[in-house]
Amino acid sequence: MNRLWISWKPYLMVFRLRALMETQYRAAALGGLVTQVFFGLVYVCLYTVLYDGADAAALQDTITYVWLQQMFFRMMFSNDGELTNLIMSGGVAYMMVRPLDQHRFWVCRDVGGRLVGAGMRMLPMLLVQLLLPKGCRMALPDSPAALAQFLLSVGLGAVCLCELSAIVDAINMKTLDRRGISAILNLTMMTFSGNVIPLTLFPDSVQMLIRYQPFAQALDAPIRMYQHAAGLPEWLLNVTVQIAWIVVLRLLGRWMWQQRMNDMTVQGG
Amino acid sequence: MMRYVVHSVKMLMKSAMQYRSSLLMQVIAQFVMTGGELMAVTVLLSRFRVIGHWGAAEIMFFFGVMQSTFALTELFGRGIAAFQGFIGRGEFDSVLLRPRPLLLQVMCSQLDPRRLGSFIVGLAAIWMAAVQLKIAWTAAKALLMAEVVVCSVMLLLGLFLIEATMCFFSVKSIEMVNVLTYGGRSTCQYPVDIFPTPLRLLFTYAAPVALCMHWPISWVLGQPMVVLAQGWYYVTPLAGLVFFALMAAIWYAGAKHYRSTGT
Repeated sequence: MNRLWISWKPYLMVFRLRALMETQYRAAALGGLVTQVFFGLVYVCLYTVLYDGADAAALQDTITYVWLQQMFFRMMFSNDGELTNLIMSGGVAYMMVRPLDQHRFWVCRDVGGRLVGAGMRMLPMLLVQLLLPKGCRMALPDSPAALAQFLLSVGLGAVCLCELSAIVDAINMKTLDRRGISAILNLTMMTFSGNVIPLTLFPDSVQMLIRYQPFAQALDAPIRMYQHAAGLPEWLLNVTVQIAWIVVLRLLGRWMWQQRMNDMTVQGG
Repeated sequence: MMRYVVHSVKMLMKSAMQYRSSLLMQVIAQFVMTGGELMAVTVLLSRFRVIGHWGAAEIMFFFGVMQSTFALTELFGRGIAAFQGFIGRGEFDSVLLRPRPLLLQVMCSQLDPRRLGSFIVGLAAIWMAAVQLKIAWTAAKALLMAEVVVCSVMLLLGLFLIEATMCFFSVKSIEMVNVLTYGGRSTCQYPVDIFPTPLRLLFTYAAPVALCMHWPISWVLGQPMVVLAQGWYYVTPLAGLVFFALMAAIWYAGAKHYRSTGT
C-alpha cells in the first residue's frame, strides 16, 4: 500500500495542482457561464420550435441533453497548449529529466483541470436552472440509480477524453502546430460528442454506430444513462464500451508518446 | 489609403503562403468544422422536415449566407477579432505612432486565410439550396444579395468591435461578449422569426442581423418575413453600415483610454 502511494504521489500532486490552478480562473468561469447559458437557451428555443408540440417527452429529453452538454462544456474542450509551449521554449528538457512516466503525468494533469473546471461551472448552471421558465428547464435524473450511473460514467468519460487529448498532444509534439491535424481532431470531436447536436437525434439507422464511437463515450453515454436508468446487462455493456475505449486509446497514446519521447528535439537555449 | 490596404493585403498573403502545407491543413480544419455544422443542420432537417414555416432548402440558404458572411468577416477582420492579443503584446503603441487611420491599421494588420474553408462550405450550402428552390434570379435580386453580404460583413465587424473596445478597459478574458458574435452566428444561421420575442428583438433591433440578412433574404426566397414595399428591402441592410459606424466611433472613444501594457 505504502509503495503504491509513493509511486502514485507525483501524479496525484499534479492532479491537485492543476485543479487548484483552475479554481484561480473565476472571471473566466463567469464569462463561460454567460456564454453557455446563452447557447443553451438558443438551442432550447430551436428544439421547441422543431418539435412543435408534437412529442413533449422527446422534447424534454432533448432539452435536458442540451443543458448537460453546456454544463460540461469545460470538460469537453480544454486545451491549454502548455505542452507545445514547453517544447517551443526548450522547457521540455526539464520535464524529461524527471523520473516520471510522462504520459501518465500529463493525463493526470488534464483530468484535474477538466473535472474541476467543469465542477466550477456546473454549480452556478444548476442555480440558473431554477431561474428559467418551466418549459426551458432540464429534467431531474430518471432515478437515483440513473444519477449514480451518470456520475460514474462522467468520471470514465473524463478519463477517456484525456486519453484522446494525450493522443492529440503526441501529434502536436510532432508537428508543433496546434492548428493543423489536432484542430481537425478537436473539431470532429465537437460534432461527434453531441455538442453541436444531440447524438440521440441522428437517424435511427446510424444510432448503433454513433453511440459506440469513441467521441460519444465522453458525455453522450453518461447523458443517456442520466435520462434512462439502464438495467444491469445494458449498464454493463455501456460501461464496458467506455472502459474498452479508454484501454484502446491509452495503449495507442502510450505508444505514440514513447515514439515522441525518443526523438524529442530540445529547442531554445 | 487604398494603396496602403492593397499593399498590406499583398504582404499578408505572401507571409501566409510561406507555410503552404500548414495553411492547407488549417483550411481543411475550418472546412471540417463548418462541414460539421452543415451536417448537424442536415440531420435536424432529415428528422423534422420543417423548422417553423421554413422548408429544408430555405433553412439551408439562410445557413449558407450566415456561414459565408461570417467566414468573410473573420477572414478580413482578424485584426479586430484578435485585438486582445494586439493590446496584450503592446503592439497598439506602434499603431498609435503611425500617420494612418487607427482602425484601418488594425484591420490591415492580420488576415485569416484559413476561414476560406468555412467560406467554401457556406457557398456550397447556398448553391445547393438555390438549385433546389429554383430561384428565378434577376439583376435586382443578385444586386440585393451583394448588398446583403457587404452590409452583413460590416455589421459583424461592428459586433467584433464591441469586444475590441472592451479590451481598452480590461486585459482579462472577455469571452462574455462572444454571445453576440459566435452566439449570433449560431442563432442567426436560422431565420430569426422562429425564435421567441426577446431573441428576435435582440437580433432585429439591437444587433440588427435580421435587418441586414433575414428580411432581404426572405424576400429573395419569395416568403417575406415582414411585408414591405420592395424598395425597403434595399434600405434595411444599411443598418449594418450604421451599426459599424456607431461601434467604430465608440472604439475610437475607447482608444483615448488606452494605456500601454508593453515595455
